[in-house]
Amino acid sequence: MRHSERYDERGAARAVAVTTARRVGRQGLLWGLLFGGTIAASATSYSGLVPTAAARERLALSFEGNTAWAALFGPLRRLDTVAGYTAYKSGMFVIILAAIWGLFAATRSLRGEEDAGRWEILCAGHTTRGRAAAQAAVGLGAGFALLWAATALLSVSAGASSKVGIGIGAALFFATALCSAAAMFMAIGMFVGQLAASRRDANLIGAGVLAGSYLVRMAADSDPGLAWLRWASPIGWIEELRPLTGSKPLAFIPVVALVVMLVALSVWIAARRDVGAGAFAIGETPKPRTRLLGSQAGLTLRLTRPTVVAWTAALVATGLVFGLVAQAAGSALRGIRGIERAIQRLGGSGSGAASYLGFVFVIAAGLMAIAVAGQIASIRNEEASGHLDHLFVRPVERWRWLTVRLGVGLGLVALAGLLAGVAAWVGAASQHADVGLGELVKAGLNVVPPAVFVLGIGGLVFGILPRASIGVVYGIVVWSFLVEVVAAVFDSNHWLRDTSPLLHVAPVPAAEPNVQAAVWLIVLGLAAAAAGIWSFERRDLVGA
Amino acid sequence: METAIRTENLSKTYGTTRALVSLNLEVPRGEVLGYLGPNGAGKTTTIRLLLGLVRATVGRAEIFGIDAQANPVEAHRRVAYVPGEANLWPQLTGWETLYLLGRIQGRVDTAYRDLLIERFDFDPTKKVRSYSKGNRQKLILIAGLMSRADLLLLDEPTSGLDPLMERAFRECVQEARERGQTVFLSSHILSEVEALCDRVAILRAGHLIEVGTLAEMRHLSALHVEAELDGTVPDLSNVPGLSAVEVEGNRLRCEVTGPIEPLLATLASTGVRHLVSREPSLEELFLAHYGADGRGEAGDDAA
Ligand SMILES: Nc1ncnc2c1ncn2[C@@H]1O[C@H](COP(=O)(O)OP(=O)(O)OP(=O)(O)O)[C@@H](O)[C@H]1O
Ligand SMILES: [Mg+2]
Repeated sequence: MRHSERYDERGAARAVAVTTARRVGRQGLLWGLLFGGTIAASATSYSGLVPTAAARERLALSFEGNTAWAALFGPLRRLDTVAGYTAYKSGMFVIILAAIWGLFAATRSLRGEEDAGRWEILCAGHTTRGRAAAQAAVGLGAGFALLWAATALLSVSAGASSKVGIGIGAALFFATALCSAAAMFMAIGMFVGQLAASRRDANLIGAGVLAGSYLVRMAADSDPGLAWLRWASPIGWIEELRPLTGSKPLAFIPVVALVVMLVALSVWIAARRDVGAGAFAIGETPKPRTRLLGSQAGLTLRLTRPTVVAWTAALVATGLVFGLVAQAAGSALRGIRGIERAIQRLGGSGSGAASYLGFVFVIAAGLMAIAVAGQIASIRNEEASGHLDHLFVRPVERWRWLTVRLGVGLGLVALAGLLAGVAAWVGAASQHADVGLGELVKAGLNVVPPAVFVLGIGGLVFGILPRASIGVVYGIVVWSFLVEVVAAVFDSNHWLRDTSPLLHVAPVPAAEPNVQAAVWLIVLGLAAAAAGIWSFERRDLVGA
Repeated sequence: METAIRTENLSKTYGTTRALVSLNLEVPRGEVLGYLGPNGAGKTTTIRLLLGLVRATVGRAEIFGIDAQANPVEAHRRVAYVPGEANLWPQLTGWETLYLLGRIQGRVDTAYRDLLIERFDFDPTKKVRSYSKGNRQKLILIAGLMSRADLLLLDEPTSGLDPLMERAFRECVQEARERGQTVFLSSHILSEVEALCDRVAILRAGHLIEVGTLAEMRHLSALHVEAELDGTVPDLSNVPGLSAVEVEGNRLRCEVTGPIEPLLATLASTGVRHLVSREPSLEELFLAHYGADGRGEAGDDAA
């Protein structure tokens, strides 16, 4: 008897590690490919964009010491080398995404599983809660290892290319430095998951920590007198590592210390608190707010409001940042023939702030596509969780519900696009850039059609194959990113580019919008959505 | 009399699993019907078909004469549904949930709602995510019952409730019956069904194998008899309908199917000191249908 019990105990605890590793590992590999691809794309495009020594020097002169730029992307060093350019171009982008991924993966794996009640099952079996938390940490570690491996592999192979020439050691150090953001925020996610009352609260607190560390290092990078503040921010530590621009491994000490300490603390707390409880519970008996709860449309607004507000704010912030740096960037880029040619290839012309904005607004299109994929995922989750049953056993038309849900997605992209354009104009105007409000509103709205297309396809798949819908929409987004990366590295293959809805975006305001493509994307998106609604009326409701 | 539920060859197949096979069932208005069957028999499937949540592979389902598959929204105006698992929006409070579901249903008896809240001793001020399993179940019960719908479709409505709340639930069903509401009650708690239901339908592996009042069902099955006689038990081999005979000196234990007179006549010749006869409980009827051989045929094999 003894024997079999002990066996169960180990088996159950290992089950946590294995299931966590499997899920997080798959994601880690995907994100690692994206990060590695981004790094490779930045490194390999350098020699084409700024081919001559003079152009490189010019690039370095106009960006280094630009505090606005440093505040956003971290200190810029040695932009006249491919290493320095790569560090600037992909560094902050990868760090932020890695941190977000690590945070969400950790809260999902620990707090999410616990909220869903799966931990109670395991803990009722012979594993202890502390042990289960430790095993989940092992699973997260496996996911991190795959993220690092994929990022490192692509960085090293890009570095080995004759156009680039970054040594293996430097490339590995760079990949490790960037991925350490994921490790730190996994540990932070684990820890706040023990303190918060639910996964959502844990995500909120973790996101707050991330925003705080970004802002602290922002202050440190905008004023040399505040440089010491960098040591107060996890993201600042990564900057202190100076990957690719004079590696200083000393800053790994706080990184490792933070991870070890928080993981140990989390396991310690997990073993000592009740399942489902947190150190602070936020508002479990609030005043009832029934203003929006009179109809299913109102309910939809109530349920989607937090994400709609968050995404709109994110796009407004992105637009504002683009606008703020447009003038500086535009004048720095002027005369760099490689970049002008890249814009021409996209169908744009001219130079200066407008051309820079046209170049970067494609990023807004990507964000918008992710926001839309999130809307489809939340539509499917309403069904999978069984919430929808409570609506559809009452006099609620299915087509009406889905139309409202998709309408919210449509409204979100239209509003966010419009406001991103206006915010970009506010930013640009404050720097006296010569770009009109009308042009930038057009630029904002220009990124809406691809999002409408993704939304429509998502609605169609949801109507026909609900269990596949989340995978398909995120698949489209990842595919578009990959095509973008591949198209940037290799000479773009026309057929391949056509499969990515994002690459049908004209670089407004550097060019006129591609009205024909936009109309097609919208028409196809709306038709797909209509077909999805039609099919949803006629199918079974499908649980998780 | 208006028919509350009528199904015609109603069938549902999931892949290769035949969850429900050609169900023909009529429930007259005002009846309380118990719907029984082992796990995986197709009870939930039947209710989801009646609600139009899933599409019938073959057949028809009508609720008060409305085609529930083609015209679910119309049918839902007269129906309330209580599932055994309450997956509600965790971020809403109890009050908000009741308000929302009442508004969507379009009809709420607010006085009755308040009575239910009191009767179930429910605190509606908390967020759904912080309720215990039983409290979530109370919430979904109150949300279902408060509309006083003409037809109540209840799928294991008392799962997770304590015995006091279980009693409160029985009161509610009694009230519903008195008001002329129809109740379709799927349950594994046989004492609950025995106490509440006018008729019982028994489902096995997707097939309806028995419908009738408890009295009718008992009639078909054996009566337990225990007797103590003045002398030794006489030869019973000529008595029809006897089974499970156990004799111990002057004590007899047996089961009788059909009329009991021949047994009484034979025993009377010896002189009866003491005799008890007992009808089978619903549990015994149920076990007779599923015990031993019944289980093996249950429909869970493809799950
Ligand atoms: N969505 C589905 N996909 C595939 N098979 C299903 C699905 N829903 C039910 N089934 C199968 O249909 C059969 C009947 O299931 P149903 O849920 O109706 O049983 P039940 O009588 O309600 O059982 P229980 O008493 O356990 O609630 C089972 O074999 C089940 O596995
Ligand atoms: Mg069931």
